[in-house]
Amino acid sequence: MKEERFASIALFLFAAAYLAMALLGIPEPSVRQVLGPEAFPRVIGALMVLLAGLYVLQTFRGAASEDEERAAVIGADEKLGTLFDFKTVATMLGLMLAYAFLFEPLGYPIATLLMFCTSVAVLDRRHWVRDLIIALFASFGLYFVFSFLLRVQLPAGPLRLLGL
Amino acid sequence: MNFFDNLAMGFGVALTPLNLFYAFVGVFLGTVIGVLPGIGPMTGIALLIPITFGLPPTSAIILMAGIYYGAMYGGSTTSILVNAPGESSSVVTCFDGFQMAKKGRAGPALAAAAIGSFIAGTFATLMLMLIGPWIAAFALNFGPPEYFALMFAGLTVVTSLAGRSLVKALLATTIGLAIATIGIDLQSGVPRYTFGNPEMLDGLEFLVVAIGLFAVSEVIVNLSDMRQAVQERLSIKGGLWLNAEDWRRAIPAFTRGTLSGFFVGGIAGAGAAVASFVSYGLEKKMSKYKDELGSGAIEGVAGPEAANNAAAGGAMIHLLCLGIPGSGTTAIMLGALLMLGLQPGPLLFQQNPQFVWGLIASMYVGNVMLLVLNLPLVGMWVKILDIPLYLLIVFIILFSFLGVYTMNNSVQDLWLMVVFGVIGYLLRRFDIPASPIILGMVLGDLMEQAMRQSLMISDGNLGIFVTRPISLTLLLIAVVSITNPYWKHIGRGLRKLLGAA
Repeated sequence: MKEERFASIALFLFAAAYLAMALLGIPEPSVRQVLGPEAFPRVIGALMVLLAGLYVLQTFRGAASEDEERAAVIGADEKLGTLFDFKTVATMLGLMLAYAFLFEPLGYPIATLLMFCTSVAVLDRRHWVRDLIIALFASFGLYFVFSFLLRVQLPAGPLRLLGL
Repeated sequence: MNFFDNLAMGFGVALTPLNLFYAFVGVFLGTVIGVLPGIGPMTGIALLIPITFGLPPTSAIILMAGIYYGAMYGGSTTSILVNAPGESSSVVTCFDGFQMAKKGRAGPALAAAAIGSFIAGTFATLMLMLIGPWIAAFALNFGPPEYFALMFAGLTVVTSLAGRSLVKALLATTIGLAIATIGIDLQSGVPRYTFGNPEMLDGLEFLVVAIGLFAVSEVIVNLSDMRQAVQERLSIKGGLWLNAEDWRRAIPAFTRGTLSGFFVGGIAGAGAAVASFVSYGLEKKMSKYKDELGSGAIEGVAGPEAANNAAAGGAMIHLLCLGIPGSGTTAIMLGALLMLGLQPGPLLFQQNPQFVWGLIASMYVGNVMLLVLNLPLVGMWVKILDIPLYLLIVFIILFSFLGVYTMNNSVQDLWLMVVFGVIGYLLRRFDIPASPIILGMVLGDLMEQAMRQSLMISDGNLGIFVTRPISLTLLLIAVVSITNPYWKHIGRGLRKLLGAA
């Protein structure tokens, strides 16, 4: 699989960068120790480079040792299908990033209401009345549950002006 | 204090209205999580950790343990009625459970699953109570080398049982260990891999990584393929009870499932999914009705369902007595307890008896609650499947954000969570298992400290790990567990060599 080759190379580069930093980038502690702060990362880094190297080899030789019988015995996750709805995933990821961005400025209730309604509009808008009621509960309702029952502070955003 | 005083004290803690309430909430949510496909106990507990922030540690663990063993009950319902396992430890229950339901015997199948779960859950709690204090007392003698070896063994057992490819599983473990090294080094005060970012000094928050890797990636997996398959859903016909013949056949299977599940999943730390598969294999070998297995034999439901519950209960022994998680789910629970300022381990039985015995007592109570929730009310759980997938996705997003944000009030954590969600999706796509990453991350710090303390004791001599008998034994277990997939090949190679000579 071509994309898995990229993935394995990316992992190898990550491992190599990690090892390089372990070898060069960890400052000397002021007190000498039997085993300093650099030792553990070096061991892990070396192991990771070795394993990632093996992974790269496997993806290029195409002979990854996969034991389906064993996978069944240990209950491994099912493999994902190759189907990938890029448009939906990209839209929703964008929405999640926007939600993170607006979480504090707009406050939890308003940001959540917007996120909820936009998601429903993107994914399935057939039951919008029901979903709008659920959205109101999930945004304003949960906000009150968290602030007043669980005493967990959530950002209020402009609502603060109303004294909520 | 003697045993009965301890137990009485435990019930005193567990039966307070508040803790009863949390046990109920735990087993209720656990059943929901078990029924819902896609959300496993790991994702469920990670998402619900924020609820526990305001709670005393005892109530928090009662809630989390309830979710864990509650999920084992709930998983079987959808396996039997819809042929869709709610989580990985209920996959085997589909084989015979769905066949039984097709033949109009859904009632007895559900009853066998619930009763088996109850017997096994109660047995595991009993064992935790009886041998837990012994194990904890034994582990009190452990020094840093033994702890290092123990964590090493735990890590390798989990790794060797994760995913299809050993290379990928090992790679995942080292990635987890690497993530654990981010932040200030506790022994020398030196910052590592922080890139000058002050928010990185404490390291990556474990909950951010866990929710990203499990919950957010699950959202992406579902979004990438939204065509909802129309599932055949069977209704419950007839009574929800076992007849005399069913009992006669189910009881030996309950016994075998409970014992094998406890040893495989609990003592050996192999997790609930493996335990259920081992139990099914055992039924195939030992049951009098082995020919019927696969076409709706009650043994095929009774055994594995008992096994996965015995394993879930048994896993608590590792967590409480040794402070070392044996599976992804208990790793998340350990992470949560550390966040609450509680270090599980052998000292817990002495220093915090209310916590341990309160939890044990609550597990008895919780198992009774689950029996009630899952037998008379089983019809209610199937209706959960009517929740449309897209609403479920939106709610998972919402709870992920709530959980991660309330931890530190940090927006940077939210960005990181989404990034780890994408990473988690990619890992899933390339079949690299995520649970070793979490385990490595939780154990990494503890392991490094134990290793450095050991070498301080021995003045840098690595021999300290192999000259102490307990540590040597544990390291040998690690070697055996990691090499066992290759024994077949090694054996074959040796025979060839010997045959040729």
